Amino acid sequence: MKLGTLFKDAWDALFSEAATEPYPNPHPDETERLRGRLRWNPEGCTGCSLCVKDCPAAAIDIFVLDKKAKQFVMRYDIGRCTFCGQCMQSCRFDCWQAANDDWSLAATTANGFVEYYGKEEDIERVLAGPVTDDPVKV
Amino acid sequence: MTQPANRKRFTVPIGPQHPALKEPGHFAFDVDGEIVQSASVRLGYAHRGIEKATESRTWVQNLYLLERICGICSHIHATAYCLGVEKLAQVEVPPRAQAIRSLVAELERIHSHLLWLGVAAHESGFDTLFMYSWRDRETVMNILEVMTGNRVHYSANVLGGVKYDVDDQQAATIREGLDFLEERTLHYLEVVSTDSLFLQRTRNIGVMDREAAQLSGVIGPTGRASNVQRDVRLDSPYAAYADHPITPVYETTGDLLARFVVRLREQLTSIDYIRMLLDHLPNSPLTTRMPRRVKAGEAISRVEAPRGELFYYIKSNGGDMPDRIHVRTPTLCNIASVAQLVIGQHLADVPMILVGIDPCFSCNDRTSVICQDGQRDMWDWARLRQYGIDHYGTHYTKDLG
Amino acid sequence: MMELLQVLVTMLIFPAGLFLLANAMIYQWIDRKLVARLQDRVGPPWYQPLADTVKLLANEEVLPHGVNKWLFIGLPIIGLAGALTTALYLPIAGLPPAYGFPGDLIVTVYMLSMLTLCLGLAGANTRDRFSMVGATRTLTQLFSYEAPFLLALLGPALAAGSWQLSDIMAYASGNWLLFTQPIGFVVVLIGLMGKLEITPFDAPEAETEIVAGALTQYSGRGLALFRLGQWVELVIGLTMIAAFYLGGIHNPLDYVIKTLFPLLIIAALQTLMTRLRIDQTVGMWWRYGALLALVQWLLIFLMGGGQ
Repeated sequence: MKLGTLFKDAWDALFSEAATEPYPNPHPDETERLRGRLRWNPEGCTGCSLCVKDCPAAAIDIFVLDKKAKQFVMRYDIGRCTFCGQCMQSCRFDCWQAANDDWSLAATTANGFVEYYGKEEDIERVLAGPVTDDPVKV
Repeated sequence: MTQPANRKRFTVPIGPQHPALKEPGHFAFDVDGEIVQSASVRLGYAHRGIEKATESRTWVQNLYLLERICGICSHIHATAYCLGVEKLAQVEVPPRAQAIRSLVAELERIHSHLLWLGVAAHESGFDTLFMYSWRDRETVMNILEVMTGNRVHYSANVLGGVKYDVDDQQAATIREGLDFLEERTLHYLEVVSTDSLFLQRTRNIGVMDREAAQLSGVIGPTGRASNVQRDVRLDSPYAAYADHPITPVYETTGDLLARFVVRLREQLTSIDYIRMLLDHLPNSPLTTRMPRRVKAGEAISRVEAPRGELFYYIKSNGGDMPDRIHVRTPTLCNIASVAQLVIGQHLADVPMILVGIDPCFSCNDRTSVICQDGQRDMWDWARLRQYGIDHYGTHYTKDLG
Repeated sequence: MMELLQVLVTMLIFPAGLFLLANAMIYQWIDRKLVARLQDRVGPPWYQPLADTVKLLANEEVLPHGVNKWLFIGLPIIGLAGALTTALYLPIAGLPPAYGFPGDLIVTVYMLSMLTLCLGLAGANTRDRFSMVGATRTLTQLFSYEAPFLLALLGPALAAGSWQLSDIMAYASGNWLLFTQPIGFVVVLIGLMGKLEITPFDAPEAETEIVAGALTQYSGRGLALFRLGQWVELVIGLTMIAAFYLGGIHNPLDYVIKTLFPLLIIAALQTLMTRLRIDQTVGMWWRYGALLALVQWLLIFLMGGGQ
């Protein structure tokens, strides 16, 4: 016969700070490997589009304007991204990086979820309409 | 007490929407007063068509799709899939990767069992234990975050290896967390096996002896609580379990208490196993080259998920997408036992007995189309979709109208 | 004219009306906050019960099929009225009771049971299966704790030699019955938990089995009134315990301190226990509760407390 086996826990809890935290709160300590928003670094990209093929959520898309001149536009849809990190794994040139300090991505509207990376004139060209070079489709 | 045959039965429906169920499933219990006379189970409310969806995705993409079959045991699904595909592709995975797979799997087991402890305590009305066990579950989730970068869908696996290594600093963090978890697990073990009010709700409730357990094909911790000595980690070792066998945990009484004790003791063995693995991590690369097209053939892979044996059947026709993937989750084996266990029990104990098998409805829901005219045919997406529209159209508009 | 005004104030504002409702909400919040803190949670903000009530009152009240409309609407009102009426005979906020007559103790106890009875009837009135099971459990539980609860409450009456609340309180002011009748104190405190259907006696509204028990079909105003009634009962019960066992209530500060003490115990017990099955509840009350209450009586007689 034993009652109140959690008494000590309850006593400790009463005089300590609550375990739950209010939201939004700054993440106490971001871990090194936390996978947040993806960042694309065009330096190494060869336009092989392996990352696009492997993305399980069809969140990334690459528009190859000119392969030789390294004119690429990357479209990244944060709303679709599942932060699995496969693109980082697939890329042989380390062009993808997940930001471990940019993870609070919830928003009330879908605006701003689609991001374009690349030179500004290239992005404008992609946004303007169909490009001459066939964009890689998923 | 004999009842007149024409007496109207009083059926208490639990589900598809019910506070006791965190996922949709339907149970109908015929009760006489508070005592359950008969029960029936109906599943299929959360069918997601994942098996079909795998056929139109590449091998790599499927890894993440299959990982999302279950939120709690995501890693073990990915592991089962990877092991099967690697077997098909005849790829040898480096030993360090195998060890890390086991490491994450055991961390996940701790996570799953702590979550279950909270849910089961909540079903019995012991909300305080629920709060504490979920608070302590944060520790193991933080460990997993440190190791893999995510708290739920770790995505530690890739085909042909793992993504993440464990360095000394992380090993130290893991050990520190494990010490805390061990202390807490021992405490909870004491709570569930000595608190006399809680014992009133668990001891000799939903008793399933070994024979009954084997008859209804119960597996995993639920079976081990009834002394069914089966554990895939021992019977058919995979990943690191071949080199480092795990100590199995069995209980003999087969009641709800035994299911609590088995799971808590399994946490302790998992903690010991992780410590051992950290001491004996082999040195090797993390990944090996994996072809994008997998050789034609069939493979099965079996792993021990936190809830029991998880089974994958994988068929390839040599392309970059699988021909067929079939998944059998542990809940499918265990759920039938609920209908037998609850008979003669109090209505108040039904939620606990149900949760005692640690059900995961969304994981196990699947569709079988039986072709009565003997014709085998394949359904494509458009036909499935039309079938869905017709089905719900005829079934539900009628009720509403 | 002044007399009428005084009656109206007594009924609608203090002690039976708005004041009691506000008091009940604050005590409900304290209980929830305490339980949350004991469970290592943050807990709700202080206005949460008020916000809940306002929201429920603003919600549509759905009248389910197959119920007796007048009963469905009337029962919450009667239940809440019963709970509020008891406040007239008690020293709410440490001020002397508004009314009193010989034997008002019995009336008070029965008025308190009215809410439970209404709850049971409300559940039986609807055709919902969870409500039916909940109603059966509510009434079963009423029969299990009621007798020991009443027997224990009669202990102070026996000691004081009167069945009038004000007399008992006058007697209790001089004698801390907590020390002379400790068993009775325990039985009353736990009986109050049974009455309020809080853990471990929350089988009648066990959400994981029967959703919300007897109140499953209630929404909007009816649900708000039932909830308010239960919160008021908490305050009434605590006041009775403080007045009988903790040396009486003499001023508002006294009132706050002496009612918060049993509330703390209730919150702690609630935290540390798991829900009992209804058969276990009944067994416990008749096997131990009734026995303990009778032992307390015996002790009172042996010590010559009875007059």
